[in-house]
Amino acid sequence: MVLGLKDIWKLQGIIIISFCAVFVCTLFLNHNIDVVSIENEITSEQVRLLYEAQMMSGKVVCGLCGGCLLATSVVMLFFYIKQYIDSHRKQIGILKAIGYSSFKIAKGFSAFGLCILFGAGGGMLAAYGVMPYFYKVQNEDHILPEYSAHFHPVLPVCLVIAPALLFAGISVLYGCRKLSVPVLELLREKVEKSFKAGKRRQGKELTFLVQLRKNTVWQRKSLVFFIAFAAFCYSAMMQMSFSMEELASIVFSVMIVVIGIVLSCTTLFIAVTSVANANAKSVSMMRVLGYTMKECTGAVLGGYRWIAYVGFAAGTIYQYVLLKFVTIVVFQDVEDVPDFTFDFPAFWIALISFLVLFELLLWWKSIQLGKRSVKKVMGE
Amino acid sequence: MIQVKEVVKSFGNKENINKVLKGISLSIKDGEFVVILGASGSGKSTLLNVISGLERPDSGTVSYDNRDISGLSDKALTEFRKDKVGFIFQQYYLLPNLNVDKNVRMGADLAGNSDYRQVIEAVGLGGKLGKYPSELSGGEQQRVSVARALAKKPEVLFMDEPTGALDEETGRLVLDYISKLHAKYHFTIVMVTHNLNIAEMADTVIRMNSGKIVETYENQMIKTAYEIGW
Repeated sequence: MVLGLKDIWKLQGIIIISFCAVFVCTLFLNHNIDVVSIENEITSEQVRLLYEAQMMSGKVVCGLCGGCLLATSVVMLFFYIKQYIDSHRKQIGILKAIGYSSFKIAKGFSAFGLCILFGAGGGMLAAYGVMPYFYKVQNEDHILPEYSAHFHPVLPVCLVIAPALLFAGISVLYGCRKLSVPVLELLREKVEKSFKAGKRRQGKELTFLVQLRKNTVWQRKSLVFFIAFAAFCYSAMMQMSFSMEELASIVFSVMIVVIGIVLSCTTLFIAVTSVANANAKSVSMMRVLGYTMKECTGAVLGGYRWIAYVGFAAGTIYQYVLLKFVTIVVFQDVEDVPDFTFDFPAFWIALISFLVLFELLLWWKSIQLGKRSVKKVMGE
Repeated sequence: MIQVKEVVKSFGNKENINKVLKGISLSIKDGEFVVILGASGSGKSTLLNVISGLERPDSGTVSYDNRDISGLSDKALTEFRKDKVGFIFQQYYLLPNLNVDKNVRMGADLAGNSDYRQVIEAVGLGGKLGKYPSELSGGEQQRVSVARALAKKPEVLFMDEPTGALDEETGRLVLDYISKLHAKYHFTIVMVTHNLNIAEMADTVIRMNSGKIVETYENQMIKTAYEIGW
């Protein structure tokens, strides 16, 4: 199976996420490695504590940011490979029928590693681009002895080349696993997995629209994860960046808010687009029968609202607990660290902007669904 | 009564226009069973789409009881389809993530029909309410689509090759259910097919070729689904 650049470009979500992850990790890891070089120059106990807190926060940010984003990228990669196989079932089935092994076909999926190469490579270049400014801001308070930025070859190896190879390998293995089905099953039309609603209260009859909304949501659990995750990221990173004003530099806050917005918007966009595309036929049939666009989009997209809001609430709690933990545990011995309290203005700004963003996205997607020709969708 | 006057419909761009309907005129009486017969590419499905309000004609009019629907807005056309028509397609187009009961309810809720299970019983699927489309045979899926169309109590039922994907036995069974329900509820039927034998079940047959009506005739002897050839 030969994948073109067009196929790889469809993984924009992973490209953007790996860009953000490597951007942050490069800045902080490079900074941590450089800061180690001045450890011997530190004489005062108070400065040493600050040095250790800074090292620790660098590690926490890299671990959390890198770990979370890596996990999201892997889930997104699996999701995309599954979608790719589903949309190319017949071609793959024919290849298998004429004697290609699953591994031989899945080998082509290694090209998905390129999206990490593009994203992570871009993130690293961008990080080295802003690094002088980042160091300048870090040196401004003159608490630690002055240090300068150096290039560390281990970083491109660990943050760009190794992840690209890892993702290429994961793609092949996952592809192999997904392709290990009988040829006839691939050649046949895909049978949708039935979603069976849970036990209902006796006597409670759900209308068609309510049932469709429930089934649409729970049939694709990966999309539920993406939407909740996007809302979580938006809420946590936006509020964290505002609340950190007194704990970290402005560069740090801006970086977090930009990454939060880019990451959550990308994930939300991909997830909502997938929902809309997957339900285009159902919407068309509903329109043929006489359901209004409002009813159609309410049934297929509306169910994700509460998931997004639950994700937002979880993000709010997470950022509060994390910052409380940082101030109590990480900075416990550092003087003049203000007591951290819940930032209500930050919460309201994040909530209102998220509401506007999410509702605008749903509105835009419903307009797009409405513009699709019923005849064309039914003929697909 | 449905009246179609001088309907023209083309597809493609200025350089490559494909005129599919070339001035079609016809009328269909209430409760009539009309078959539009023609070979592939004759324009019969496009005519069905235009008459049913799924597509607008380039020129000409389509009227239901003297109300022209060809110039209606999208919203008004949706309202029209909701109130007046039902559809059965060759490919069923059932919602895969809903069971039989909810797929039929999709049509019933539009008409506020709470007795829709009677229609499911009438097409012989009373025992399969909780089954999903992937768990049904082709014939059963088409019967669900028949029940879905009739559960919204349409005045006109449009069918595009409803037995096209079915074997003979199942095809006859589906047609038999449809004609029995037609006799019971007296809705108008407009069916598109290329099968000359199925045309023998209709009151009126409209034969099309190259975007034009070449012949219209009334059957003197109407046959049942089990009397026609296949």
